[in-house]
Amino acid sequence: METIINFIGHFHPVLVHLPIGILLFAILMQIISKWKKFDQLTNALPFAYLLGAISAVFSCLTGLALANNGDYDTDLVFKHQWLGISVAVFSLAGYFFIKKNKTAYVKWLSYLLLLLIILTGHLGGTLTHGEGYLTTGVSKEEDGIEKSNKPIITNAQEALVYKDIIQPILKDKCYGCHSAIKQKGKLRLDEKEWILKGGEDGIIIHAGEAMNSVMYKNILLDPVDEKHMPPKGKPQITDQERILLEWWINTGASFDKKVKELPQTNSIPNILVALQNNNAKKVEVLSIPEKEVAVADEKAINGLKNKGVTIVKVALNSNYLNANFITLSHTNDTIHDLIEDIKENLVWIKMPGMQFTDALTKAIAGCTSLTKLSINNTTISDMQLAKLNSLNELQYLNIVNTKITLAGLLKISNLKKLNQLYLGQTSITANDLNKIKSVFPNAKIDFGNYQVEKLITDTQLVKAPEKFSVKVTEKK
Amino acid sequence: MSKRSNKNIIQEANLQTSHQITRKYFFKECFSGIGAMALGSMVGGCDWLGEKDRFDQFANTNPLMAQAPHFIGKAKSVIYLHMAGAPSQLELFDYKPELLKLDGQECPQSLLEGKKFAFIRGVPKMLGPQAIFKQRGQSGAWISDNLPHLATVADEISFLKAVQTDQFNHGPAQLLMHTGSARLGRPSIGAWATYGLGSENSNLPGFVVLTSGGNNPDAGKSVWGNGFLPSVYQGVQCRSEGDPVLFLKDPAGIDRDLRKASIDAINEANQLTYNEFKDPETIARMAQYEMAFKMQISVPDVMNINDEPAYIHEMYGTQPGTTSFANNVLLARKLVEKGVRFVQLFDWGWDSHGTDVKNAVDIGLVNKCRSIDKPITALLLDLKQRGLLDETLIVWGGEFGRTPMQENRDGKTLPFKGRDHHTEAFTTWMAGGGIKKGTSFGETDEIGYSAINGKVTAHDMQATILNQLGFDHEKLVYPFQGRSFRLTDVHGRVINEIVA
Repeated sequence: METIINFIGHFHPVLVHLPIGILLFAILMQIISKWKKFDQLTNALPFAYLLGAISAVFSCLTGLALANNGDYDTDLVFKHQWLGISVAVFSLAGYFFIKKNKTAYVKWLSYLLLLLIILTGHLGGTLTHGEGYLTTGVSKEEDGIEKSNKPIITNAQEALVYKDIIQPILKDKCYGCHSAIKQKGKLRLDEKEWILKGGEDGIIIHAGEAMNSVMYKNILLDPVDEKHMPPKGKPQITDQERILLEWWINTGASFDKKVKELPQTNSIPNILVALQNNNAKKVEVLSIPEKEVAVADEKAINGLKNKGVTIVKVALNSNYLNANFITLSHTNDTIHDLIEDIKENLVWIKMPGMQFTDALTKAIAGCTSLTKLSINNTTISDMQLAKLNSLNELQYLNIVNTKITLAGLLKISNLKKLNQLYLGQTSITANDLNKIKSVFPNAKIDFGNYQVEKLITDTQLVKAPEKFSVKVTEKK
Repeated sequence: MSKRSNKNIIQEANLQTSHQITRKYFFKECFSGIGAMALGSMVGGCDWLGEKDRFDQFANTNPLMAQAPHFIGKAKSVIYLHMAGAPSQLELFDYKPELLKLDGQECPQSLLEGKKFAFIRGVPKMLGPQAIFKQRGQSGAWISDNLPHLATVADEISFLKAVQTDQFNHGPAQLLMHTGSARLGRPSIGAWATYGLGSENSNLPGFVVLTSGGNNPDAGKSVWGNGFLPSVYQGVQCRSEGDPVLFLKDPAGIDRDLRKASIDAINEANQLTYNEFKDPETIARMAQYEMAFKMQISVPDVMNINDEPAYIHEMYGTQPGTTSFANNVLLARKLVEKGVRFVQLFDWGWDSHGTDVKNAVDIGLVNKCRSIDKPITALLLDLKQRGLLDETLIVWGGEFGRTPMQENRDGKTLPFKGRDHHTEAFTTWMAGGGIKKGTSFGETDEIGYSAINGKVTAHDMQATILNQLGFDHEKLVYPFQGRSFRLTDVHGRVINEIVA
């Protein structure tokens, strides 16, 4: 019997749209039937009201069935329920008034009905979609406030494990269905008492045993599993959040301890540090300049292509270009002029092994958008490198296996965006690290010269134990 | 009564006739149909996916010309190291101390019920890890003593510990890994990548395949095939011993000028054919002639490792003049350095069943590990010192994993320790190319039998590889037989957890 009632209840969200539509249409007909042109609509009014009333009655019945099993906020359900019943009653009344030709009543009744339908509908929406569903995503400011409400963790070790770390996760991923507005599975997660009380299937947390705690186990279930939480389609618990929840439960599910009071194993410290960092604004290294650039000259691009240069947009929607001169060993004035024509657009240039002339240096120095320059194995000299100090956007410089010296490198010390330097097989060595760091403090510097240790096992093979070789010979 | 029904019949007949002939009715019936057709052509004419440019490339003479990706990709090339036969995750990366405790005990029935294995029959015994594990680097990744060199660069790598597949035989599983389908006929990742991005070096093919270990992979050459893509995108198999590419030399008595003249003449004729029929395969054929001509010079040069300095040979453990995984790895580095888009390596001999000393998990597997450990480590470090690691994606893996149970082929005890094919959980890794350094994603249960979280599939790995190259895997499509196909079919999720 219970299951049949539950099943009937599931039709409520579908059926409710009938009285809303039919009754609104009836009210609309009633209003415009005042005009002479539409007065024949009056004849349709009793039918419309009756149909609306019948559908309202059915909505009420299914609604009652749903309230029986729906785990909704009882207060909201109470209001929604009685408003809904009043809609049914008043629409029936409307039908009888019209039948009896009591037009004066009907007018006021229809306005009241309109109001009731709107209120009931809104409460119904709140029940399914949660408080404030109308405005979410509409007002951006509100979203911002919501996010900044997250506690700012400056020192994760000093933070309160529940209030600062666990509760924000629950708020983010669980409150939608398990808090004041809705209690799916008769479970609330918004207060300590509710969490400890558990849901309709009992306790959800066994302090110290995450793998025995329903709350944690359901997160682990396969996403297609009916019991997987959060349900498929809803924002999922991330790996880090999961590890934090596991850690919180395993360390006793404390509601008042600080992070540093709990034992921390494996990855926990790293994740906590990451939480700290997340509050700081993420600095992302852009590989192309932020400013927009005009479309590159097609002629120059084709000219370079004909010379054997691979040249292509960095992405379909970008006008910045990536050029690879790998098939060339030297350049000429035609090429320099073509580079000049698209100097604003070139952001990445690769020309390993190139014969470096002053004219080529000048052409490259003009490419002020350049962020990445690979001139490894080239003949570039310190003097020529110094001329490249105009490349203010440069982030990556590869001068592996060139004659560049430390003095040469320091001549481009004005390029503050440089954050990756490849200096292998040059006269610059790890001993110069401090000097380079003082000029390029944020740069990742690679001196190369990596070695793979020699081990005896590299060339030795493991052989089968003696008894096996005996066996094999026996077979033969 | 009868009169009336007669009349109705006549009316009905008249109505039917008018339906068939009246102009009004014709328009009424056709309106929706024509409207739908018009809408279809309008929508179809729009460049919804921004892919139109990509198809237009066939109007150009060179289908391998470099192309822009959907968005700025972190990786420009890929080196995919496939250990054909499927290496045992339980002896390399997936440390399971619980399994050691169960060593020699009978496998519980619950793990066998409803499961199918390639060779295991009846009730097998559990087999503990046959290697010593340690945590390595700052990331604390578990790597066994089988890979002592790789252990030193653990902090460069992102491990995927819970990869799953649905194929337990080598051929189909390899096809799934590389073409997105366990059946023949789909293009491989390398073909998709070169179709999408073209080649950075017009003198070299965009997709090169190198094999070692004595055999080609079980799936055959389809695993680097072009499927329904124009054949110019298929992998070019090169050899590290003898002629790098077979049949590339000019025949005796034909000099290079004559060869060029004949290719030009053939291609002129081909151009006429293309102008008439517009078949992209004609363009592909022309490009291949041109490419082969250029490769006669460029390939022997790039495929020659003799000129590499001694310290490089020492680093990789290479011996010029032989076919070895180490030589192939060094070649892979040389190729990506020269702008080759996708280098696919297959190393055969990882099928550790325990039927023979060569495939015993405690003997043959250890030797296989020794043959790859140094070169792969050297590859990572060498790319790093050349400033190429950040733009070269390295992928390592097999086609499936191996069982925590010892194989008992035909219900018998095998002479050596081995493991059967296992689909439910195995380890692969990625490094470089915009992948996070020193992380691990996914987890298996206490005995390494099933994935418990962070599950990924071949399609997810493919989506991630394309993502690193700058492609939305759902938008890199090719129209074939009336619909658009993509590498990941209807699956695939970019594994953002390991993307930096």
